[in-house]
Amino acid sequence: MSAQPLPLRFAGVFSRRPGTLGSAWRQPLAIAGMVLAGAWIAIAILVPLIAPYNPLTQSSQLVLAPSASHLFGTDELGRDVFSRVLWASRLSLPLAFFLVAMAVLIGGVLGGLAGYFGGWVDEVVMRATDLVFAFPTIILAMAVTAALGPSLRNAVLAVLVVFWPSYARVVRGLVMSLGQSDYVSAARLLGASSRRALVVDVLPNVAGPVLVLATLDLGNAVLLLAGLSFLGLGAQPPTPEWGSMVNTGTQYFERWWMGTFPGFAILSVVLAFNFLGDSLRDALDPRSSWAVQR
Amino acid sequence: MRFLGRRLAALVLLGIGITFVAFVLTELVPGDPAAANLGQRAIADPAAVQAFREHYGLDKPLPVQYAVYLEHLVTGDLGQSEQSHRPVRSDLSEFVPATAELAVTSILIAFVLGISLGILSAVRRNRLTDQVLRVISLGGISMPTFWLALVALYVFFFKLGWVPGSGRLDPGVLPAPHVTGLYTIDALLAGQFDVFVSAAQHLILPAGVLAAYNVGLLTRFTRSAVLEVINNDYVQAARAKGLPERTVVLRHVLRAALPPIITVGGLAFANVMTGTVLVESIFGWPGIGQYAFHSATTLDLPAIMGVSLFVAVVYIVVNFLVDILYGVVDPRIRVA
Repeated sequence: MSAQPLPLRFAGVFSRRPGTLGSAWRQPLAIAGMVLAGAWIAIAILVPLIAPYNPLTQSSQLVLAPSASHLFGTDELGRDVFSRVLWASRLSLPLAFFLVAMAVLIGGVLGGLAGYFGGWVDEVVMRATDLVFAFPTIILAMAVTAALGPSLRNAVLAVLVVFWPSYARVVRGLVMSLGQSDYVSAARLLGASSRRALVVDVLPNVAGPVLVLATLDLGNAVLLLAGLSFLGLGAQPPTPEWGSMVNTGTQYFERWWMGTFPGFAILSVVLAFNFLGDSLRDALDPRSSWAVQR
Repeated sequence: MRFLGRRLAALVLLGIGITFVAFVLTELVPGDPAAANLGQRAIADPAAVQAFREHYGLDKPLPVQYAVYLEHLVTGDLGQSEQSHRPVRSDLSEFVPATAELAVTSILIAFVLGISLGILSAVRRNRLTDQVLRVISLGGISMPTFWLALVALYVFFFKLGWVPGSGRLDPGVLPAPHVTGLYTIDALLAGQFDVFVSAAQHLILPAGVLAAYNVGLLTRFTRSAVLEVINNDYVQAARAKGLPERTVVLRHVLRAALPPIITVGGLAFANVMTGTVLVESIFGWPGIGQYAFHSATTLDLPAIMGVSLFVAVVYIVVNFLVDILYGVVDPRIRVA
């Protein structure tokens, strides 16, 4: 048992003071991330009201450059690129949230079991994560989607396959180290049941790192799904999707607007989640903080 | 030595695991592997389907199928590409050098740039430079590579004409005699300077685009690695001796910060391979990335699995080498 107070730099990780998370929102980066992510979520909800055209309606006005009537121009089938970019948020954003939630659930449960029971359970789960980590993410996701057959549903499954292991590892590591930590033993000594120890003392400390990872993974999910669709393995035409729109853009190289605007959409969404995740990490773990104070 | 042995054993086990994953994906997941692997031919030619089933032992129990699969792998049989109608292995060996040249160049750019920016960020911590670099590095890891490639090609090739277009050499320029397959190196070895210039000009934009993500990653990593050690006692001692800050940072701080930075090497490689799959086709770069891209868009399953298996094997070997290198640079690791 150490009677010494924790070194100051760990304070953010272990204290559950109300102000800990609050400091994230005082950073300009966190605010920028909030605004950007909030704007995209608003767009995804309100798109039927704000999109000027139907994203699927074709017209004879093919590959028009951006103008007042078509802000982002039109594509090779005469569809309004601006409307398609906005509509695509309805696909990517909910999928990203769904994917990350599922990955947290699956990875969290498997990692928790591995950390709690140890032994062969731990062995099996960890070797499975090793196998997934042995492949560069998009390579494995590509192989899985191709084997299952190209469709949005299979692309989502593939992303899930490559996403769950990082949560399993984080949760396992935290459960293991926290299970042996002094304050959890203290709680047990005070008569807390193992369930109470898990819920009251372990979970809140697992939540921080998992929240950081999940926020960053929202961006990664958007990026990976767009990549798979760019390869033709995800969303299928005529569904408006950012990655496949950029792919079409590569085929109409000189019509820069066809690929550039959907790409900006991907960049801004991913950037928003990375800003948020990074600020959260700063707030929760000053040790790896960008604004490190020494 | 024991350190090396343990790592080697882990490498072999992981290698076997990878083949198992590839086996499951090639022969178990597809509803009908014969149809998936033969594509159009499966419908037209029942005899081919029968031959395929026998060749891969698909009529036998699963463990036997896996054994047959491993046997084929050991002899280098990765199946036949539907598109090129050639063994996947010969396709791969043709395309590997182009990707190797691109990947190595890109990783070099990323390490030089990322480490420099990371040091700068750490030294100027919490000042404006640091905050700007933070946004830049977050931008690097948020960028869809395939989009960056498109935009960069449009701007620097189409609009400004600073770099040549697709391919590895200008039209009409012949590669130097084949030694390594890396056009820049081969040209230097043959003393053909004009070929070297052409190859380097074609290399710079794709390598730079592929480096974007890794620059972001390495800047962040270097920054925190440098900050871990920058106020250590021996660094203070070096300062107290009156050494200029420049020397202190480059000699004392960087020396101690380097081992953790090296560990990013494996990840950097994975990022570059991910990037090549998405980007090579945009630059018309005839490597395994473009091969993977075309295989994916045409659903050429044997080719996709061949590339995946190959990249995964190279990846775990790179990770193994990084581990060893880390052990060499930081002797404490060998004990732990």
